[in-house]
Amino acid sequence: MINELMIIIFAPLIAGVIAWALDIKGVREAIGVIGAAVPLAYLVKLYPTVMGGELIQYNVTFAGFTFNFTLAPMGMIFAMIAGVVGLAAVLGIVSTARSSYEWLFALMSLTGVFGIFLSYDLLGFFIFWEIMTFGSFMMVLKYNRKASLKYFVLSVIGAYAMLVAIGIIYAKVGSFSFVEVYRAFSQDAALGMVGGATVFSRSEIALIFGLFLVAFGVKAGTFPLHVWAPDAYTETNQSYTAMFSGVLSKTGVYGFILIYMLMGYRLMAEFGAFRSAPAFGYIIAFLGGLTIIVGGLLAALQEDIRKLFAYSSISQIGYILVGIGVGTALSIEAAIFHAISHALFKGLFFLIVATIVYRTGKTTFADMGGLAEKMPFTFAMAFVAILSLAGIPPLVGFASKWVLFEAVISQNLPILGGMVFFGSAIGFVYLIRFTYAVWFGQRPTDLDDTKDAPLPLAIGMAILALLNVVFGVAPGLVARELNKVIGEEAITGTIWELNLGFGRYNALAILIYLIVGIVIAGIIYFLGAKVRKVPVTDTYQSGNPVTMEYNLTIRRNFFLPLKEALAFWLRISFDKLYRDIGSWVEDLAEVLRNYVYNGNAQSYAWYLAIVLVILAIWGV
Amino acid sequence: MMETALKALFILLYATFVGFMFMGIIRIVTARIHRRVGPPIYQPILDTIKLLSKKSNITHGVIYDFGVLYALGATILAIMFIPLGNIGVLRAYGDLILITFLLEIPMLGIMFAAMSSGNPYAGIGAQRALLTMLAIQVPLGFAIVALAEFYGTFSTYEIVMAQQVSGWSIAHLPLLLAAIAYDLVLQAMFGKEPFDIMIAPGEISLGPMVEFGGKHMGILQIQHAIALFAETLFFSNIFLGGAVVTTFASPVLNTIASLAILLVKQIAVLLVATFMGAIFPRFTIDQAAKFYWKWPTIIAALGAILASL
Repeated sequence: MINELMIIIFAPLIAGVIAWALDIKGVREAIGVIGAAVPLAYLVKLYPTVMGGELIQYNVTFAGFTFNFTLAPMGMIFAMIAGVVGLAAVLGIVSTARSSYEWLFALMSLTGVFGIFLSYDLLGFFIFWEIMTFGSFMMVLKYNRKASLKYFVLSVIGAYAMLVAIGIIYAKVGSFSFVEVYRAFSQDAALGMVGGATVFSRSEIALIFGLFLVAFGVKAGTFPLHVWAPDAYTETNQSYTAMFSGVLSKTGVYGFILIYMLMGYRLMAEFGAFRSAPAFGYIIAFLGGLTIIVGGLLAALQEDIRKLFAYSSISQIGYILVGIGVGTALSIEAAIFHAISHALFKGLFFLIVATIVYRTGKTTFADMGGLAEKMPFTFAMAFVAILSLAGIPPLVGFASKWVLFEAVISQNLPILGGMVFFGSAIGFVYLIRFTYAVWFGQRPTDLDDTKDAPLPLAIGMAILALLNVVFGVAPGLVARELNKVIGEEAITGTIWELNLGFGRYNALAILIYLIVGIVIAGIIYFLGAKVRKVPVTDTYQSGNPVTMEYNLTIRRNFFLPLKEALAFWLRISFDKLYRDIGSWVEDLAEVLRNYVYNGNAQSYAWYLAIVLVILAIWGV
Repeated sequence: MMETALKALFILLYATFVGFMFMGIIRIVTARIHRRVGPPIYQPILDTIKLLSKKSNITHGVIYDFGVLYALGATILAIMFIPLGNIGVLRAYGDLILITFLLEIPMLGIMFAAMSSGNPYAGIGAQRALLTMLAIQVPLGFAIVALAEFYGTFSTYEIVMAQQVSGWSIAHLPLLLAAIAYDLVLQAMFGKEPFDIMIAPGEISLGPMVEFGGKHMGILQIQHAIALFAETLFFSNIFLGGAVVTTFASPVLNTIASLAILLVKQIAVLLVATFMGAIFPRFTIDQAAKFYWKWPTIIAALGAILASL
């Protein structure tokens, strides 16, 4: 019998291989979409069972190792994110893919993601992690070699870190299974409390935690390991980036949650708490806070539309890490909630970017403007995405952010509270920059015949936009499922209302009163005299008549004053630090090549002689 | 249902009227400081009526119209969540963070409308408004955090009730610090000197406001009045004890007394801002950012840390 879990995991890959092998235009698109739709259909079918508390398991024995796949509620939620956003992104790829190569690797990385969320042992987790990384690496490689190498090097560092950590765990526990590992760590925690001998020493625990932090931090794009993301997100098919940023980065988030699930008790017992957060979690949360600020400020200063959203994606992941780090049931629910909304609005944003790039062929703000009139549908989608990301009620971005704010602040963590507040303002800032430069103002004449989004992209966008609105107006739908995942009634209330005990949020009331307010404003508006439409040149220009030859839009360096105010901090760049380290290594290699490996047979003979002499002295 | 609707209508009318009076007060007080006579207190109302009854209006497209409506709609939404004495429509949901966000989103509507006109002054005005917002967000965030951590709740109404027992917020040191920072932030929220960088009259031709005229400007005047009312009311509620009078037997008398007390507090907040505005010249935008990221942030962060101990 073919197992359902195997279908979920491997359907995208098989579809990708077929699409690549056939390479018939039209057919490969259809197969690709089916490949992304099948896992989603199966996930929807299994959803009630899994959320009802039943685990669906499947074991595969291969080369002496048993791989255990389990669909548990936590993995289910993340797999659903991957399924929905993956399907929307694949619809986008239908419009923007250049070759069957992209179909193969885009779907391969989707297989990797499903594998990660369904694996229930460390070995399977690692293997699928690598499949995902490979698929996404190939997607970037096709567009830009340099960006892909940067991504590759950091991913390899992350992967080795994970491998070493898994190796240590296997050596001590003797099993890869999550269940066994969890048992070993909890026993250790209990033994450690009463002062008994533990399997893992304090330093080993710290080492494993540090290694996992690096491994997951790279994939999630945590500061200061984020440097690959702006380049990799930018230099690939933008429809694929919807998946890259919306789904692939969530595997890092899932990894951090996994640290809690497997090692949480032990880490807590060993390192204690900082204020009311676990000390190890506070490290994650603080890095998350820095990620919010650094990502956000850099997003505001970008001149390339793709880069802006790449940095914005990094910034938003920071929120999720803050939620995970605080480590209460409520804050982890908030983190998963924000992971869902991040996937929804950021997936939507990258599809919008894909549409803009596809239709105009331009990527920098300097070349754009006035597209709202030409692409009304895409603009409407962008409007939803902007409101959602900026955290405007009643959209899903606000609901999740609100839960997160309250979860953090209620734990008496003022510094983190200040950081998340700053993050919400910076979100506003870079989004308005995007809005102004792309949609409004004077339109360059070469964009005059720009068309609206192609149908598959439009469908992909509409799916995500609809979910942004639905989950925003009815946040209880999500909260109810999150309670099941955590196994605790942390968020109560109805489907319209979230109640945390110390704060309440009613999205429906907000929607109703907002509509009432707009209607009142509308009545005043329509009571007034008629309006006459005027063109962009017919505005107040200090009495100086202008034509379209004048540049009326601030296209470059929109936030120049911000750049000036931050000049000191902007000089510190981790990207530059890594590049410097890279060039030092190159220099060192150069020195070695000049003096040691100089290609001279005579000197090699000398080295041989010296080694022999040393060995002889040693008495070998 | 009917009662709620009536209450909402009352809040709306009262806020609009008092907001316009506040605008008049600002003009008179500023005039007196300048040793001028100043206009009558109802002048802003006359101005608004004039704007709304203009025969000729221009538009720059759907977003231009919708942005203006959205701004007023969102302001009306915000006012419903702030407890006004004994009257409250949605005060059960009057969450600190929600209100803080709601007070900011009308600006989004104005900015969308302004930017869609394509006027370069509007563009630069939007840029300055955003950077001002970015600058104030840090002290503002810490002040809100301090409040939430001190009272252990996010409900504005519960904070007001707690102050009836334990005295005004500013009587406690951590919240006094937060209040000072928040008051400095209010200066920028009102758009008063030295932080009137975003509209900067005489420099960038009123920035985002440059293109609005006729009924669009009239609607934005109403929006401004309600926003002025909402911001002072929020400050009075969270830092100055609000007002919940229960001494009289008649609920109507209680309500009137509460509103009167709130009004005094609101005018006090307003006057502080007006005095500051009248005597300071304008900052440049990077000076404003550096200012807000220095003293108010330090004060508010200190408040937040003290409150969390």
